[in-house]
Amino acid sequence: MLRKDLIQKSPVVQILGSEYLGQGKFGAVVSRAGVGKTQFLVQIAISLLLEGKKIIHISLYDPIDKINVRYKEGYTNLIDSIGYIDPQKAARLWDDIAPCKFGITCHENTFSPKNIRDYLVSLKKNSLEMPAMIVVDGLDFDRDCSVVLDRLSELGSEFSLAIWFSMKSHREQPFTDKGFPVQLDRVQGRFDKAVYLQPKEDKIEVVILKDGIKVNERHLIEPATMMLA
Amino acid sequence: MLKDLKRVRNIGISAHIDSGKTTLTERILFYTNRIHQIHEVKGKDGAGAVMDSMDLERERGITIASAATHCEWNKNDINIIDTPGHVDFTVEVERSLRVLDGVILVLCSVSGVQSQSITVDQQMKRYQVPCIAFVNKCDRSGANPYRVAKQLRDKLGHNSVLMQIPIGLEDKLKGVVDLISMQALYFEGDNGENIIAKEIPAELQDEAATKREEMIDAVSMYSDALTDAILEEKEITEAMIVDAVRRGTIAREMTPVFMGSAYKNTAVQPLLDAVLKFLPAPIDISNEAIDHNRNGESVTLTSDFDKPTVALAFKLEDGQYGQLTYIRVYQGGLKKGDTIINSRDGKKVKVGRLIRMHAAEMEDIEEIPAGHIGAMFGIDCASGDTFVSPGINYSMIAMHIMEPVISLSIIPVDNKSQINMSKALNRFTKEDPTFRTYVDKETNETIIQGMGELHLEVYVERMKREYKAEVQTGQPRVAYRETITQKAEFNYTHKKQTGGSGQYGRVSGFMEPCEEEFEFVNKVTGGRIPTNYIPACEKGFRGCMDKGPKLEFPVTGVRVTLVDGAYHAVDSSDMAFQSAARGGFLEGYQKAKPVIHEPIMKVVIETPNEFQGSCMGLINQRRGIILGSQEEGVMSVIESQVPLSEMFGFSTILRSATQGKAQFTMEFSSYKQVPQSVAESIMKAKEEDKKKK
Repeated sequence: MLRKDLIQKSPVVQILGSEYLGQGKFGAVVSRAGVGKTQFLVQIAISLLLEGKKIIHISLYDPIDKINVRYKEGYTNLIDSIGYIDPQKAARLWDDIAPCKFGITCHENTFSPKNIRDYLVSLKKNSLEMPAMIVVDGLDFDRDCSVVLDRLSELGSEFSLAIWFSMKSHREQPFTDKGFPVQLDRVQGRFDKAVYLQPKEDKIEVVILKDGIKVNERHLIEPATMMLA
Repeated sequence: MLKDLKRVRNIGISAHIDSGKTTLTERILFYTNRIHQIHEVKGKDGAGAVMDSMDLERERGITIASAATHCEWNKNDINIIDTPGHVDFTVEVERSLRVLDGVILVLCSVSGVQSQSITVDQQMKRYQVPCIAFVNKCDRSGANPYRVAKQLRDKLGHNSVLMQIPIGLEDKLKGVVDLISMQALYFEGDNGENIIAKEIPAELQDEAATKREEMIDAVSMYSDALTDAILEEKEITEAMIVDAVRRGTIAREMTPVFMGSAYKNTAVQPLLDAVLKFLPAPIDISNEAIDHNRNGESVTLTSDFDKPTVALAFKLEDGQYGQLTYIRVYQGGLKKGDTIINSRDGKKVKVGRLIRMHAAEMEDIEEIPAGHIGAMFGIDCASGDTFVSPGINYSMIAMHIMEPVISLSIIPVDNKSQINMSKALNRFTKEDPTFRTYVDKETNETIIQGMGELHLEVYVERMKREYKAEVQTGQPRVAYRETITQKAEFNYTHKKQTGGSGQYGRVSGFMEPCEEEFEFVNKVTGGRIPTNYIPACEKGFRGCMDKGPKLEFPVTGVRVTLVDGAYHAVDSSDMAFQSAARGGFLEGYQKAKPVIHEPIMKVVIETPNEFQGSCMGLINQRRGIILGSQEEGVMSVIESQVPLSEMFGFSTILRSATQGKAQFTMEFSSYKQVPQSVAESIMKAKEEDKKKK
């Protein structure tokens, strides 16, 4: 019951719907620094964890402890958003879902999809449950990422994975004619879904840049909790 | 032994495996003239390090038992304990930290803060032991002491402050710059014994000035005099800085960081100076004991030679002259011929031969005054016993001892081995509280229990070498446990009233899961069970905890609440109520959905990045949960939780999967429920075992 309630309350489910990215497809959360890309990605991942799926969170700058804190915070915010819940029940559910998340920290120049592939192959070989999604946080889209994206795309297709990225834009760069931040514009053909986060007064506005008919939908979320305002 | 306690230090050297603790100790002994030749841990001369006195230690290149040694530096006494780095021998580390006043935390400049450094740090916190850090192996490729200092902050939460900077690194390591005296120190001579102080090289002057400023800024908060000098722009003297660092270190609020390379004989002497300057003397540390004559009130001990003696036996060893008991004297002093009392059993003992240890060699002494560490012969006691002067009844606060998680059956090959094995087991269980032994009543096999495969392996090997006890070992077994998952009621009548004296007792109540091992709550009112039978009921319930009804594993986490019952004026007895309680327990237990719990180990693998994926795969194959994987330079550190039962033989598998380039550590984390499929196979194996018997 608690899982269902939390999924329904999840800001990402309310904004993007509960149908997730297709296999081997990419999604992006774009914003300038410090707006809340990682926390939004964490909410996307938590909604999947609540569905009983596994995820891999790769961070190119946060240490493991920080990744864990981010997930715990994201989960607590979600719990708080549905009013009073027996703390023991909440803790038990966290104990259930936390091990389904696997964090990897590495440096951008040594980040290797091959290692991820080795890991996924070993899971498959042993008939173990495969992850449904990979979060890649911190990849620098100001540089040419085509090789890494190619590898990750192959990985996504081979293992039926959705892959979500954080994408840092810059305050001084205007959107392109197509209505995308420069970083997304270069690679937009590869992406199935994309949202843009921007501060609006004391809230954060989520603008859907790519997602079929939902394009240009706008939602306000609380910056402290990432819950719908 | 020095009676001016300001000039005494009791220190330990702790770190992760292979960080170079023993090599560092060897250099310290050399520079303090305790040894006249340096032998490497796994040196080509085959001699092995002096501190690794056990043959087994020299062969394997690891330290198993903490060796205590004594040396002098600048007319100060330093007692050093070199502790094992391997987690299986963690009780040795616990034991040492209990009696030490300060620690040199040795860290590898390439690997940085590793898993065992984290464990040691937790132990230091537990016993409030101040430390200084030594970043060793600065001569190795990939060395970066700045990164290690940062890791000390990020991973261990230490307020690390650099006291030195390196002159060159890796194969260009030449010496260090002392940021207090602002001198460049070089170490010349065959063994780096000649310290040459020179002006700081021009290319390092700016960096040294910046780092010194950072250091003074960080330590100023521990000294008003230093803060005033900074604010009033007066001259900052060396004494001011030393005083501030000392205060901060003793209060455990900062960790001064030194660096060098023990193997290359670089910067070990400044570390010894730092031990004297910054680590506490026995009088700087407050130690407490429990006074049993005053309802367990705590008493602060002072290093006063005239007060009654209080001493703690922290380690036992079987030497050629009988039992050697390592002892730390906290108050008073131990003299040859003194009579002291073992506060555990109240037995009087006479102090015989007293010695000061130097690894495997010993030096006879007349007394061990307060604040010192020494050893005595011929006293029968257990590790952790407190010895006091007649008239007082103090005991030192106990050490944190973990429960063993793995067991192994051992069978002696012949009668002679049987006798020797008993002697060895008797000795080992006294020496090491995490090593236990018992005889399985059903199979009549002797079972040994410990903290890991290596732990038991070492004891089996020691049995063969030291006691000539040849034993065959069975398969390692995991210490499973049973527990209940829901509340269940019981109502059981024990009735035997046919002929002879009868037995009658009825118990009724409920059992439920709880955090404690076992709890018994008596809620019987109105004399339904007379008060004098209640202890018998508790005994009956408690008796069932040793062997669970499900699979005969020990039961934990059960609270039994006795609510009602009945008795018979003639036929009720203690025995009858014990039997009734046993029946009640069995009845309730089946309804309370019992499950099996297994020990889960925290496994940390350090592997070159290219094997990260395959190592993670190995964890997955073993029902493991990967908590995270972090890249650190050319290595990845994978942290995971894996059931102990899946970890047997893992070292061989890891070696072959990574061309021998990865290593792992494993320590107990928690007990968790066994998945149903595994529980079924355990049940099957247990049944087959039973059939065989």
